Amino acid sequence: MTEMQRTYVKVTLIWVATLAVLYAFQIFYTR
Amino acid sequence: MSAIDWSIIGLYLMWIVWDGIRLSRNTDKIDGYFLASKSLPWWAVGLSVMATQLSAITMTSSTGQGYADGIGLLQQYYALPIAMIIISVTFVPFFRNANIYTAYEYLEGRFDARVRSLTALLFLLSRGMATGVVISAPAVVLSVMIGADISTICLLLAVPTAIYTMYGGVQAVAWTDVKQMYLIVFGLVAACVTLIAGLPADISVNDAMHLAGTAGKLQAFNFSTDPSVRFTFWTGTIGALFLFLSYFGTDQSQVQRYLTAKTDDEARTSLFMSAYWKIPLQALVMIIGVLMFVFYLFTPPPMLFNRVHDERVRASARAGEYVALEQRFTAAVGERSGIAQQLTQAEESGDAAALATAQAAFLASEARVKSVRAEAIAFVKDVTGDSTYNDVNYVFPTYIVTQMPVGLIGLLMAAIFAAAMSTIAGELSALSTSTVIDFYRRWVSPDATDERLLRVSRYAMLFWALFASLVAIWAAELGSLIEVVNRFGSFFYGSILGVFLLAIGWSRANAIGALVGLVAGMSVVAYFTVFTTVAFLWHNLIGAVVVFIVGMIVSELTGPRKQESVVG
Repeated sequence: MTEMQRTYVKVTLIWVATLAVLYAFQIFYTR
Repeated sequence: MSAIDWSIIGLYLMWIVWDGIRLSRNTDKIDGYFLASKSLPWWAVGLSVMATQLSAITMTSSTGQGYADGIGLLQQYYALPIAMIIISVTFVPFFRNANIYTAYEYLEGRFDARVRSLTALLFLLSRGMATGVVISAPAVVLSVMIGADISTICLLLAVPTAIYTMYGGVQAVAWTDVKQMYLIVFGLVAACVTLIAGLPADISVNDAMHLAGTAGKLQAFNFSTDPSVRFTFWTGTIGALFLFLSYFGTDQSQVQRYLTAKTDDEARTSLFMSAYWKIPLQALVMIIGVLMFVFYLFTPPPMLFNRVHDERVRASARAGEYVALEQRFTAAVGERSGIAQQLTQAEESGDAAALATAQAAFLASEARVKSVRAEAIAFVKDVTGDSTYNDVNYVFPTYIVTQMPVGLIGLLMAAIFAAAMSTIAGELSALSTSTVIDFYRRWVSPDATDERLLRVSRYAMLFWALFASLVAIWAAELGSLIEVVNRFGSFFYGSILGVFLLAIGWSRANAIGALVGLVAGMSVVAYFTVFTTVAFLWHNLIGAVVVFIVGMIVSELTGPRKQESVVG
């Protein structure tokens, strides 16, 4: 795996984590 | 505004023009002027990409939408990181290896001059209009604050930007974008801190978020599959994916940025800065809107945030009706404030029954306030004749001017100016580059010297600055500005992306197929815009798919593509 391919995976993981945090934020404050 | 605040804005305007000119190098060669001699570091390109995309509309209209409707608009940005990966893999190496100045040059090598010229023309029209809308947002802000004429403000904003962009080309744009981005982030953080500090002593940030959540302002995910709903998880991840692919992959204002990076990997890395930071930054913008909603739960808000309209109605023959509405509004706001306090106490008590009762009472009181405000807005439209009036654009500017301390008002206003100017500069530079490279050098004077091309480029920039200023005056009369910009874009974006996808993804595609596909794509999008209620973010997907399919079929029916001079 090249350096750039590792970066693509990192971007995807951070993207998923960002959306997960936002979803948890919504659930916590709108329950 | 005080003299100190005006001085800060004045100093900012003078400094940015001086700084833009100071940092420009080799602007007597077209390589230096249009591509910064491919010398910019990734972080400068990345900040420049973000600054161009974050306009004053984001700061004024998006915060207003956060106040009125909550953070749902944030969903529009969910696809951006994925779009950046796709662009890094596909468009970045294609464009950089093709040794081109504009994205549309690639289409001539792949198809023919007609396809290049048509897509470049569509870019010039849509981006020229969108730049006008970008200018009008801060003009609207200033007009509310000082009652000045919108057209004068539009010109005052466009001219300094045009000066440093004309002189320094894309280098001036990129380096000033970097400084402007710092100022914008500082302004947003300062607004956030001021809002939190302005909450009552017994209301914590946690309490504030619970109140906003109860009012439905924190819906970051809407999984509705109704195609007429504007912002859902699906429009944000699928429809907007095509918008971002088109914007960052084929729009000259963005392509020109990553053409200036030193290497392909630096170009990719610059795009990933947006992939990491765009959603959090936009979330900060939306949260400012939400915090304003909570702030105005405990500090009586004006019934209308546009002072000019407010004064016009008070001076009209129907002022009595307006005052009666205002009395109802004041009563409803006072009642809501008390219930919000009770709701916070119920949250802290942990009593589920009391909490449910308080939540129901809060929602009912909020509905009453909304209802009176809706009546007031309808009343204002009726009295002033301004049928497209949208109050949300005035919420954040009003908060800045009436609630923030002296000094910070000037800094926030300078940040709004910075947001507008960074976007305007990027667009003017791209519009001028495309005009000169795709039209002047292609059709008028193919052998023109660098000196002549640069002179024509500066005239082109002046023309586009004037054109955008005229559009700005017209756009100021339209509704919520952020949607206007995206609607302009969505009309063409999907179809232009479709042409590039056809060029890269279907080896047998030819020029006739691309042209017929482009016309078909735009026609279908026009149909969906006029005759259906399908949300505008879907138009990007529809346009791209129609162009690709029609282009593919027509290419197969009319024969293989030409074989000569394929670029990339």
